[in-house]
Amino acid sequence: MSEGRPPDPLARLGERIGQARREQSERRGGGRGASPHAPLGIAFRVAIELVAALGVGLAIGWGLDRLLGTRPWGLIVFFFIGAAAGMLNVFRAAKDVGRAPPPTPPQGPRDRD
Amino acid sequence: MAAEHSPLEQFTVERIVPLHIGSIDISYTNAALMMTIVVALVAGFLLFATRRPRLVPGRLQSVAELVYEFTDRMVEDNLGEEGRAFFPFVFSLFMFLLLGNVIALIPFSFSFTAQIVITATLALFVFALVTVVAFVRHGFHFFSFFFPAGAPLIMAPLIVPIEIVSYLARPVTLAIRLFANMMAGHTMMAVIGGFAVALGYFFFLPVLANVALYALELIVAVLQAYVFAILTVLYLRDAIHLH
Repeated sequence: MSEGRPPDPLARLGERIGQARREQSERRGGGRGASPHAPLGIAFRVAIELVAALGVGLAIGWGLDRLLGTRPWGLIVFFFIGAAAGMLNVFRAAKDVGRAPPPTPPQGPRDRD
Repeated sequence: MAAEHSPLEQFTVERIVPLHIGSIDISYTNAALMMTIVVALVAGFLLFATRRPRLVPGRLQSVAELVYEFTDRMVEDNLGEEGRAFFPFVFSLFMFLLLGNVIALIPFSFSFTAQIVITATLALFVFALVTVVAFVRHGFHFFSFFFPAGAPLIMAPLIVPIEIVSYLARPVTLAIRLFANMMAGHTMMAVIGGFAVALGYFFFLPVLANVALYALELIVAVLQAYVFAILTVLYLRDAIHLH
């Protein structure tokens, strides 16, 4: 065997496993570019995202109106806030599409098992 | 048209063992029965597959290790080592939904994940857990979550309500996504299956379509269980690593 390698066969094996794991995690990080989500799934998600936030906004507005007796201003204001939140959620969801998962912090070969 | 065989009939919750405490109906229903079966299957399978663990796993043990390591990677990639505490929760959730979704595809079974009560309860639990974790970890610093760092303070009256609504929409989307996907898929299959009766000699066309849909539904079943689990993990990541 060459000079730089640890002489112990077990340590060598550990080194090779660590190497393979690093390569695998790199491959995984790169290969995720093509997202597993079908276009229909994305459309579905975006629609749900929009409607849900709008619904939550409307519910809050309606509830505040009932509590404070400010009908219909709470409903109106929170309708727009809900719509904005829906847009924000759609924007965030769209940002995630096709994005690789965050890189795992660099670490040595794990000796957990 | 046969109105008594509505495509939505399959979602009817029926009481198997009627039980009442006061005015609260806690009857054992077909949904509860399916959930019991799923929990028993998950637990039974994992116990059975790992009853005599080998260094070189057999077939069943391989399957068990596969799902375990899949979830493990999902949790660790996103939460890191400190997220290990949440692994049992995410794993249980994922297995429960995965088997619940897949078993629902067996004819004459019942898809409890197409009941919004069940998905909403799970989503609210996740939501509560995430909020509690964020509070425990960060105390009142948690509220900075609703105001992105670096935004001008004048914008706060606008940004904070929007962020709060956006945060509150999380359990709603989580619940509706799973429920709607499962319900839509099963309804579609029932409707197209109904065409087979109406078309007479051409009955094989909708049957073929249903075979294709079945494959699609299998993907949806697995994918939606995964999406629910990964979103839980991502929300937990937000709670742990508050900006």
